[in-house]
Order: sequence, then C-alpha cells, then structure tokens
Amino acid sequence: MSILVVEKLTKRYGQESAVEDLSFVLEKETATALIGPNGAGKTTSLSMLADLLSPSSGKITVAKGLTIGFLPQYPQFFPWLTALEFTEMAAKLSGIESKKARLQASRTLGFVGLESAMNKKTGTFSGGMKQRLGLAQAIVHQPKLLLLDEPISALDPTGRREIMDLLKALQQDTTILYSTHILNDAEEMTDQLLFMKGGRLIEQGSLNDVKNRHASPHIRIRFTNPYQAAEFAGRLTWEREIKGAVVFLPVYKNGPSMQQVLEVLASEKQDILGVDYQTASLEDIFLKVVAAK
Amino acid sequence: MKQFSILMQKEWRENIRNYKIYWVPAIFILLGITEPVVNFFLPQILESSGGLPEGAVFEFPTPPPEQILTAVMEQFQTIGLAVLILAYMGTVAGERKSGTATLLYVRPLSFPAYFLSKWVMASAISLVSVWVGFLAGYYYTLLFFDRVEGMELFQMVGTYSIWVLLIVSIIVAASAAMPNGGLAAAVAFAIYLILQLTDGLFGAAWSISPVKLPQYAAAWLADSPDSGSLAGAIGITALIILALLVFGSWISWKNKAKTKV
Repeated sequence: MSILVVEKLTKRYGQESAVEDLSFVLEKETATALIGPNGAGKTTSLSMLADLLSPSSGKITVAKGLTIGFLPQYPQFFPWLTALEFTEMAAKLSGIESKKARLQASRTLGFVGLESAMNKKTGTFSGGMKQRLGLAQAIVHQPKLLLLDEPISALDPTGRREIMDLLKALQQDTTILYSTHILNDAEEMTDQLLFMKGGRLIEQGSLNDVKNRHASPHIRIRFTNPYQAAEFAGRLTWEREIKGAVVFLPVYKNGPSMQQVLEVLASEKQDILGVDYQTASLEDIFLKVVAAK
Repeated sequence: MKQFSILMQKEWRENIRNYKIYWVPAIFILLGITEPVVNFFLPQILESSGGLPEGAVFEFPTPPPEQILTAVMEQFQTIGLAVLILAYMGTVAGERKSGTATLLYVRPLSFPAYFLSKWVMASAISLVSVWVGFLAGYYYTLLFFDRVEGMELFQMVGTYSIWVLLIVSIIVAASAAMPNGGLAAAVAFAIYLILQLTDGLFGAAWSISPVKLPQYAAAWLADSPDSGSLAGAIGITALIILALLVFGSWISWKNKAKTKV
C-alpha cells in the first residue's frame, strides 16, 4: 500500500532547476534511500516533502492522516532548552496531549540513548548527541513517515552503527525515506533506491533490480600465475576477461554457472588459489550510473 | 490556543535564560533614574569637572517635576527604543537564520500562534521595562524635586505604552519579514524615522497620528490632551497594530521556506 506518491515534482529558483520531474512512490513500512552527490537535489526534495518548501510544479499525494517526522542534516536546537524540554515541546506541537507529552518525550530520549543527558541544555551537546536528539524530535509523535536528511553522515563509525540500528528498529512500523552518501549503510537498509543527479532521478528500483541492471555479476578464478590464467582462458568458449593471474567470467545471459565452472576446473585438475562469485558494490554501481548520466 | 500556550512557554524560557527579562528593564530603570539624578547633582557635577573661573556663580533654576518626567520619556524615545530594537530584531529572523525554526516549521504549526507568542513576550517585557523605568524616574523625581499626581503619571505612562506597543509590533513584524536581525533593525528604524519625519512635515494638520501619542502622554502632566485627538490616535494605532499582527503572521508563514535546513 502506497502512503506517498510524488509526481513530476519540480523546484526552480529563477532559471536554475534544483529538482526536475521527480516521481516515485513510497510503500508502507519500507525504507527508501535517496542517493546522490552534493547538489543532486536531495535536501530540496526532502524539504518539499516536509512542507518546508513549496514545489514550483508537480504533485505530492499523501495517505489520509499521514503523520510525518523530519530530521534535517544539521539539526539546530534552542541552546537554552534541555533535551527533555525540547522534545516535549516538539511532541506537543505535533499534537500529543500535554499530559502524555513529557512521558513520551522521556521514553523517546531513552530509546535514542540520551536518557542520562535529557536534563542537560542542548547547547552543551556534541554532534553525535545532537543527531540523536534530532532523531528523537522526529519520532517523538510516532509518525508514519520519517524523512531523514543524511542522518548518519556526520557521525563516527560507532555512532553510525548505533543510529542505523535504531532506524532498523523503527523500520518495523514506519516508512522511512532517507538521503545518504554512505552507500554501505544504504545497502544495509533499503527496499528501494533512488539515485539523483543534477536534480533529476537517474535510476530507481529495489536493491536487487538495480544490482541486476548494473552490478555485472561474475565468477572470479585466481590462478597461481598469469600464464596459467591465459592458458585456461584460451580454452574457454564463455565470455571472459583476464587481468594478470585472474580470470573473470560474466554470469549474465549465456554465462556459466558456478557449478559448471567448478566442474571444468576439477576435470582439468587446475591448481588455483581460489574461485568465488563477485558482484559490484552499491558504491561501484552508483559511480557507474552517475558517470554514465 | 493550545499551540499559543506551548509557544509562550518557549518564549518565556528563552527570555529568562538569555537574561532579556532582566537586562531590558534594567536599562530602562537606569534611563529613568539618570534624568532626575543628573539634574539634581548638576551643580556638583559642573563644580567637580573644574575649569571654572574663580568666583564664578551659576544659578540653576529647579526644574519642575513634570519637566523631569518628560525628559525621561525623551530618553526612552531615543535610547530606550534603540534597546528594544536590539533586543527583538532577531526574534523571528534569528530563528530562521540559525535553523532553530526548522524543527518548529516542520510540524503542523499555527503561524498566527507562533507570531503572536513572539509579539506578546516582546510587548510584555517592553511594557514592564517602560513602567518600571518611569516608576524609578518618578521615585527619584519625588525624592529630589517635587511630587506629580499619581493619576497623571498613570495616564501618561498608559498613553505612552500604546506607542511602545506600536514600536514593538513594527520590530517583531520587521523581524518576520526580513532575512536577518540586522536588516530587521534597519527597517524598523527606518519606519520609525519616516513616521517622525511625516509628523514633522504634516503633523500640524494631523492630530490623530500615532506619532502624536508621546506628545499626548506628556500633555497629561500639564493639564490633559485633547480627548478627541487622543481617542483618534489610540484608535488608529490599535488598527495599525492589528494590521501588523496579521501581516506578521502571514509573512512568518510566507518566509518559512527561508529557514536554514
């Protein structure tokens, strides 16, 4: 079931186009990664979805009664408020009853790991703590759609891991759209990929779809020396590529299966260092797609 | 109404924790005290500054208390209003520029409640400052000079308060309209100058002008201002304030896209 439909969304500043003809659908309780280089239009797109910016044209249709939580890339807080005061205010402004707001706020701060700092003023918070607080204010009213602009980019590896774990926990009953340029993390938590460049959507689909289209999976055989590799490759009828002592066999279309390759190697009693199945990483795919378009 | 009370609590906390609730009235108290104290000690001040020829004698007529309180108001008209502009020029623009407003604007925020909370807090602190400033000035006038009828003082400060409310409305609306506090201050100051200039040029024929309110306030100490003109000036000022509240709410909403994301 779709909870948000974006059709031909465009944002122009004078002659400059920040986002052009962006169209996609978010299905309920899925995670979508919005990926693109700096200036691709990710923040502008999320700002339009969060109703901070009005589109120049296009249409955003949301499911009836959809509640939204938004985390900007660099969330800024009133430095004279404590984390609890801020989160409680955020809850109340999002429609949570006053009586429940404080309890909800302190529970949420506990969830994001700020239990011991909830009575400290936000002006004393480190970057990582601010990111956690940013997440807390975005989820305190239990929104059905969570829009996150680079939620993990500013964090160290430990912080990234912790926030990713929190997001995965939230994904159980929340639809998440997040922008990122840390592609390993995107690979870990995504049902749909949206690649943007120059304000346009240049590729979209599930992780498997995108990989099938661009990953060029292949079998890699590592020989002990280049002569052995060349000699072996010369006898093959399959499409192949030789790089030093390594032979690559593409597995798409009429390529061989792993079992076929193993059978040939065994029958020829080839002395090899190893054989494995390789596919391009999301980062490789991203670089390839961005370079191509 | 619910959002208004939530946002008022935020404004209250802000004004306490950034000490605005203390330093703005403190400046007005200082301004209020300065006039009677300086006037009272003027002979000693001149004497201690030296440079006077041997045997020189200056006769200082004792100013009437009404003149001292009018001079206090003149201090408020210049330094006092500049202090209010400085204190509240960034109340909306500053939040947008720093990005702190973003996390408010992404919620189902009522912009009239948002703007009104800013205006109410700025107005409350400004009015309290003006009143305690005048009371401090009144106390020292009483101590060093003579007494002024309490009712006359009340009527004077009451009338002047309406003028202060107009100035605060202009400042807060300018802050909502401009991209930063500096420009908001410049715009508020420019409007203030234009109002004064207009009154200087056409004021003789325009008795129901809001700019006349400080004059009418001072007139309570002499005898009393013309009640028709005063009522007219108060009426037109109230209408302008109302228009500024509507404009401020609208422009706050209109400018929400300018918040730093």
